[in-house]
Amino acid sequence: MSSSPYSIRQIGAANTLDYKVYIEENGKPVSPFHDIPLYADESKKILNMIVEIPRWTNAKMEISKEQKLNPIIQDTKKGKLRFVRNCFPHHGYIHNYGAFPQTWEDPNSVHPETKAKGDNDPLDVCEIGETVGYTGQVKQVKVLGVMALLDEGETDWKVIVIDVNDPLAPKLNDVEDVERHLPGLLRATNEWFRIYKFPDGKPENQFAFSGECKNKKYAEEVIAECREAWENLIAGKVDSKGIDLSNTTLQNTPSYSSAVANEIPKASPLPPAPIDKSIDKWFFISGAATA
Amino acid sequence: MHQFYKKLGTDIAKKMFTAPIARLALTQGHLSTSSSSSLASILNSRKYTSITQGRKYTPDFKNYCKLPNGEVVSYFHDIPLEFNKQDGTVNMVVEIPRWTNAKFEINTKIEGNPITQDIKKGKVRFVNNIFPHHGYMHNYGAIPQTWEDPTVKNSSLDLFGDGDPLDVIEIGSQILELGQVKKVKILGSLALIDDGELDWKIVVINVEDEASNNLNDIEDVYKQFPQLLEETRRWFKLYKLPTGKPENTFAFDGEYKSKLETLEIIEECHQSWKNLINGKTDSKKISTKNSTIEGSIGYTNFQTLSSITEENLPDTEIPSEVDKIYYY
Repeated sequence: MSSSPYSIRQIGAANTLDYKVYIEENGKPVSPFHDIPLYADESKKILNMIVEIPRWTNAKMEISKEQKLNPIIQDTKKGKLRFVRNCFPHHGYIHNYGAFPQTWEDPNSVHPETKAKGDNDPLDVCEIGETVGYTGQVKQVKVLGVMALLDEGETDWKVIVIDVNDPLAPKLNDVEDVERHLPGLLRATNEWFRIYKFPDGKPENQFAFSGECKNKKYAEEVIAECREAWENLIAGKVDSKGIDLSNTTLQNTPSYSSAVANEIPKASPLPPAPIDKSIDKWFFISGAATA
Repeated sequence: MHQFYKKLGTDIAKKMFTAPIARLALTQGHLSTSSSSSLASILNSRKYTSITQGRKYTPDFKNYCKLPNGEVVSYFHDIPLEFNKQDGTVNMVVEIPRWTNAKFEINTKIEGNPITQDIKKGKVRFVNNIFPHHGYMHNYGAIPQTWEDPTVKNSSLDLFGDGDPLDVIEIGSQILELGQVKKVKILGSLALIDDGELDWKIVVINVEDEASNNLNDIEDVYKQFPQLLEETRRWFKLYKLPTGKPENTFAFDGEYKSKLETLEIIEECHQSWKNLINGKTDSKKISTKNSTIEGSIGYTNFQTLSSITEENLPDTEIPSEVDKIYYY
């Protein structure tokens, strides 16, 4: 296995408002939203995925759209760090959760089938391999399917992928292989996204397509659409909706600047801060299906 | 009980009697055997600390129970049962925190009965993740001063005990820590047959948990924690499949026993432990050394353990294959 050109530059301690994870390519900061190519190897259909949230953790880490070079930070609600709740039988996120670089769910366009607008974020990815990832990891993955979550009225696609280095990867080529080799996982994924905001008093989310996981071909079409939307975004053709488009590698874009890398703070990693014990609570939701 | 307090030593006794809350709790403990007050539980949680030797996740790891006066005692024999049938409460020793995989247990064979990690084929043992679960789905542990007697068949079942203290699964919202001693409320039990031996799992909740006031019997768990008992049974049925072993089975068709029936099981296993500690049952490989049960065969002052000191070593890394999830 060739060593990855990507590494992380950590600022501050996990589980604090100061925490930022920048991604470096050969030691130089790059944007995980704009600089890292979507395809690691387009001919082999291998994509890059940015891990935001490792499996079995609760901190809602995400690529910051607003900050220069889009570091991964913890989402806040009303000034407080956001953690997802544990809904029985699950512990935190049930996949390595993250995003595809160079994709955008365009909030200006309504999807013909889901009838909902994009959520203004990079395309979300659920990686189902056996290894627990880490925040800021750039994984090489293959696409297996896609689910269309309607999160508070917006289309929020969840692309199902597996790390190409996972022992199961050669056996997984499309959505039906997921059910064969990881029985119950897609149903659990569906349940998880439906109920995960329940403990915070929000209503159950809905899925388009009656909750069905669409196949690989459909997923590839969604990815192509979101890539095109991002291409228009980075080219300055659409309202950027407050997204910082700074990048250090795309010389033909208006927001290209090699110098922006120098504005990024030096690494100052600190050990993780303790997480409040209330986050360990399990919520038992009546009627939620289990595997 | 009184004997136990004597062992606390004069220093700690002085401290206790200068702290009003502790004094009140201690008084209550003396006057009444049915004390379930939170004061008593505050005191209870302060009584024990532990001494750790070796690095976690290695065969050398040992976590000994320590009294406030520094004396090392046995988790198995010296932590009092504090069985209160009226309130349905008992003491629990936490071995495995929820959502972790390392199989820690009170070592019945080593002097002082420290908590160590189980060894299989020379390697420290981790349980596998059974989808959708992450490690153990409860805080897992044991009831001190109980024993599932492996030399006699259970009164109602044609099965020998597994030779260990009674296992407990604690369902509260907090993640508990290895070596903690908690007062817990008894709710019911499940009769697992693990590798052909009877291995009761007693369902309990920490009395400090906010949900504990509303839970009084197994039916309440069914109602207030939907799917928990079903998933628990499924987990125990499947959890050894990844190691090539067959599914486990259950006595009583896998039905959970009520609180009342469970109280009797605890009573019985406490009696088995008394027989063990008094030499009526051949202890075989079990270390019965203790420092509180005067007249018992293993009564000792633990001179040999007095030199044990905290080593404070960093944990070794958990092998990455422990993260794998098995789907059935």
